[in-house]
Amino acid sequence: MNAPAPTLARESNAAPVVLRAENIGVTFHGNGKPVEAIRKVDFELHQGETLAIVGPSGCGKSTLFNAIAGLLRPTSGHVDVGGVRVGDAAGHVGYMLQKDLLLPWRTVLGNVMLGLEIRKVPKPRARPIALELIKAYGLAGFEHAKPAALSGGMRQRVAIMRTLAFDPEVILLDEPFSALDFQTRLLMQADVSRIIAERGKSAILVTHDIGEAIAMANRVLVLSARPATVRALHVVNLSREGRDPAALRTDPLFQEYFAKIWADLEKPAGVA
Amino acid sequence: MVAIDAEQTTLTGGTRTGLPPAIRIALLQVALLAALLAAWELAIRFGLLAVYIYGQPSGVAAKAVTLIGNGELLRDAALTAWEAVAGFLIGTILGSAAGLALWLVPTGAAVLRPYLVALNGLPKIALAPLIIVWFGIGISSKIAIAAIITFIVAVITALQGAKQVDADLIKLLRSLGASRVKTWRTVIVPGAMPWIVAAFRLNVGFALIGAVVGEYIASKEGLGYMIYYAGVLYDLNAVWVGIATLMAVALLMYGAIDLIERRLLS
Repeated sequence: MNAPAPTLARESNAAPVVLRAENIGVTFHGNGKPVEAIRKVDFELHQGETLAIVGPSGCGKSTLFNAIAGLLRPTSGHVDVGGVRVGDAAGHVGYMLQKDLLLPWRTVLGNVMLGLEIRKVPKPRARPIALELIKAYGLAGFEHAKPAALSGGMRQRVAIMRTLAFDPEVILLDEPFSALDFQTRLLMQADVSRIIAERGKSAILVTHDIGEAIAMANRVLVLSARPATVRALHVVNLSREGRDPAALRTDPLFQEYFAKIWADLEKPAGVA
Repeated sequence: MVAIDAEQTTLTGGTRTGLPPAIRIALLQVALLAALLAAWELAIRFGLLAVYIYGQPSGVAAKAVTLIGNGELLRDAALTAWEAVAGFLIGTILGSAAGLALWLVPTGAAVLRPYLVALNGLPKIALAPLIIVWFGIGISSKIAIAAIITFIVAVITALQGAKQVDADLIKLLRSLGASRVKTWRTVIVPGAMPWIVAAFRLNVGFALIGAVVGEYIASKEGLGYMIYYAGVLYDLNAVWVGIATLMAVALLMYGAIDLIERRLLS
């Protein structure tokens, strides 16, 4: 527990780079004139850190997410994970969306094993990995339950276990908690950042929720309105260890970060 | 009054007559049928309805006894049921498989789309005369009619079921490195299963329609033939026996589908 990676941004900057996005640009050619969604976005993700990407709504956050996940080939630039170019071979990153995307016909165990199964990990090896995660993150006894029998928070927890099970280098989170009720959301933010830290994972969190970004990330990248460019990069230096989400939010430092990021965020036109 | 009673029953868990609600409803259902049959029988007896146009319950019962006694009814029912079941199995299994497989070849699905839409809009029974020309007047043409109709329904439903699977789920599988075939096996087939099972239910009806209409058009046996022939001869009691038997066959087939549904979707 001495010097956990998330606490010091300077330290995490010294850690090796696990993901590098270079000169990312995305232009859509719909009907008529091309629409530029993202322009020249660069950033690095270091081992063990969580980087949040925030921006005004409609700025192209999800497009950037898809490019990082290898689900969309950027018009210019590239993303490398662990030195391997994303898009050539899928599967260095695990991701988690607002929807838990659990397969309703599979049990909790079957869902957690999904990624391992697709990577052709034999069942006798996959099963104990999945069972360990289920036990470690509080779903023991629910191994054979179907997702329909679980609460929203439990379902998201199964989704994060599914992501962790195949041990991706980077975890991508796209508005992962926005479908949950407020209380569950705060608890899940604390829970998931703890799990990510415990497993020594690096993560990118795309969100429109500044509070969520500060609560979970070591650095916050602020994007401009469309076409999205990097507007600012804030280092968040908060100790989260064992702190209640409410206590964290009332920390003066938290509020200071909030005010700074809020000031950087472009306001949508037409809203006072 | 009855409705209010039923509501009170569910609230209090018992009735003034002391009968559980399910039994009460069943008794009322039997009573409704008995009342209809009695009214019909009496209307014939008092000369309000002409027996040669409507038939007569007591005559229907007598006819049923005769037809069961000489084995004709069972033979006809078994033949029609066999045609419908065979056609259903061939059409539904091949059709569901083809519809699911089309997901794997998007170009093929796109090319076939307008044709499937056109076939779907067509009252498929209109194809029956063609199929009788191709397959003759024997049992194979009835199976073919049932198979072709159920095939069309199954292809369309299975493809639709495959297409409604959440696009984000497919992205997730892709991000995990799943091939198209693996994605198909892991999420498309199970995800489309409720649709496919719903098509089973539709297809039981279509298979019976196919078999019976095929028999109407050209055949020498089966319930459809028996009903049609009795109708031509104005033997309305025999027509009613045929209809009731057809209903029994349909109920049996739906019961079987219920069992399959429970197994596949549990």
